[in-house]
Amino acid sequence: MKKILLLLLAFTTIVSAALRVETTYSTLGAITEEIGGDLVNVHVLGSSKYDPHFIVPKPSLLAKLRRADLLIMNGGGLELGWLPPLIRGANNANIQNGAKGFLDISHYIPMIDVPTSVSRGFGDVHAQGNPHYSTDPYMVPIIARAIMAKLLELDPDHEQRYHSNLEKFSYRWQKYLEKLDAKMKQCKDKKVVQYHELFNYFLKRYNYKSYGNIEPLPGIAPSSKHTIALINSIKKNKIKLILQDVYHEKRTAKFIASKTGAKVIVIPHDMGADGSKNLEEYYSNIAKKLCR
Amino acid sequence: MKKRIILSLLIASSLFADAEIDAIKEQLQQQKEATLVMSTKLSSLEQKNTNQSASFSQNAYLPDMALILNMSAVSRDVENSEYEKAAMPGFIDEGEMNFPFNKNRGFNLNYAEVAMHSVVDPYFEAFANFHLHPNEFEIGEAYVQTTSLPYSLRVKAGKFKSSFGRINKKHQHSWNFDSQPLIYKTLFGPDSISDAGVQLQWIAPTDTYIMFGIEAMQGTNGRSFGDDSKNNLYIAYLKSSIDIGDDLSVLGGLSYAHGKNTDRKPTDIYGVDLTLREQLGSYSSLIWQSEFLQRNKELTSQRDRQAGLYSELVYQYNNNYSFGARYDCITKNETDLSAYSGVDTDNLERYTAKIDYKPFPMSRLRLSYTYDRSKVIGGERKDINEVMLSLNIAAGAHGAHDY
Ligand SMILES: [Zn+2]
Repeated sequence: MKKILLLLLAFTTIVSAALRVETTYSTLGAITEEIGGDLVNVHVLGSSKYDPHFIVPKPSLLAKLRRADLLIMNGGGLELGWLPPLIRGANNANIQNGAKGFLDISHYIPMIDVPTSVSRGFGDVHAQGNPHYSTDPYMVPIIARAIMAKLLELDPDHEQRYHSNLEKFSYRWQKYLEKLDAKMKQCKDKKVVQYHELFNYFLKRYNYKSYGNIEPLPGIAPSSKHTIALINSIKKNKIKLILQDVYHEKRTAKFIASKTGAKVIVIPHDMGADGSKNLEEYYSNIAKKLCR
Repeated sequence: MKKRIILSLLIASSLFADAEIDAIKEQLQQQKEATLVMSTKLSSLEQKNTNQSASFSQNAYLPDMALILNMSAVSRDVENSEYEKAAMPGFIDEGEMNFPFNKNRGFNLNYAEVAMHSVVDPYFEAFANFHLHPNEFEIGEAYVQTTSLPYSLRVKAGKFKSSFGRINKKHQHSWNFDSQPLIYKTLFGPDSISDAGVQLQWIAPTDTYIMFGIEAMQGTNGRSFGDDSKNNLYIAYLKSSIDIGDDLSVLGGLSYAHGKNTDRKPTDIYGVDLTLREQLGSYSSLIWQSEFLQRNKELTSQRDRQAGLYSELVYQYNNNYSFGARYDCITKNETDLSAYSGVDTDNLERYTAKIDYKPFPMSRLRLSYTYDRSKVIGGERKDINEVMLSLNIAAGAHGAHDY
């Protein structure tokens, strides 16, 4: 009996020893799992089947955040529309902005497309630059390092293990990037249009050029005037690829395709959006669809 | 032979030319790189010189501020002068109805609201919203709230809207319908339960969301309470939510308020609310939200038992359009109705339908039709038809709304 009790006690301490980590999106969650291993218990707040700008702040997420030791967010304004009321409502001192258990990854990222002037007259623009950096596989090691530093800060007893996890992961990722780069070298057609500027980091990494967006302004539904202008631009520049995300309506993209002969390809904006189960599969799927 | 020599000469010269071009290219490249190094050096210097931030600037600490404007155009089959006299038997007598919003046929500027939020320090954040009506300035809410208490506790103090029920703490512009549900309007008036006081909320450390809250308030609301010789209003509630699969979430709540009315006798109010939300896509959802409230009011001469409910269904079709229908009614009205003898005081109810159009997340046009069967005007039941087009604008740094 005593033994069982002791065992139970040991078990509960092991269970509670794992850091409870909430990440806002799946890619961040997967990287956290790589670095934290079984020292962390990761849960993702925003399902990758939905628009990352508009995750529904369900009360069930409050229960998750209430017990979190660490909140890892994408930042750059991507969570502005849904995360603040959740942080406020979770009554958890650990994860308040500026607290030890709060990590904004965007602070470690060289942001692109930072607007020089911001007005809602230009649509719902990202005032701090394009926050969709996690589509670029080269950002993964930067994210991993930021996460490791934070885990070390919260759980210094396991320094060795976090370090070796990062080392192993970095090596694996280096090898993967070499393979991915080799594949991307073979792509010829580098002209695209996209729905929202979701893929700019990936496109820039591999020297693609984006000629425009289906949405006339960020966050604004397509208009016929803008669509016609885009069709003309596609014809003029001989663009053959329309990058569609998983969550927007697909009618406009299909219409543009039918008028121009360009092809609509659905690109995942986050791990799991296309059913991908791990990081490599996610980035390889982007490459596979884009490279032709 | 001659031809061959000429040809080889040509080739040689072109080879030579190529080599020369390469050399020039390389030179150019080197020059380019040199200028690049120079220019980056220069620009970094430039940055050093241009960072002349004002020595005492506090701009970074300015509160988030938003301006909310709400206005409408109304068409109604009752004259304005008649409408002002509308009564709801057993709840609101003639001349006592308060119409802060959408009162007039024709145009109404309902309010300009200035909402502010600021983090005070690592332990507090402050909120305030000021309502500016055409002839009146009102502090809607002004309170501080803790951010870093242990054990998932949170304290709020100041003037605030109570978290009683589902809709009470929400601001008018975030309601699914422009008009307040009948039962809220009759029990609390247009501001709902909004008072000076303190609030304590706690979230249980469970996988399921369970939140418990208590509030002590002054109880100035004369419709149900009103004895403010000291703080006389106490409120408690329990809210819980579960997800069924990825897309369906259920939120339920039980609320209780105990206060003292103008007769210095107890008023008890019980509330039950239930919200089901099925997410159909990123921009599409189906929401069914209902609330039932019962009030037991002891008075010197009588004991009132009154209750009512509303139930609304909202279909968010996409980013731009949403459709909704609401039914609300009084279900129990045991009170002194002698002033309404000869008037049918049963079946006080209302039907509302609406279409929202949001050209942009910050602006909303709403067209609604209301068939109101809850009013008595000039001693007679009068059914009212109303068509309204309202416009709501939220400009500036307006924080995301709660669930
Ligand atoms: Zn975006």
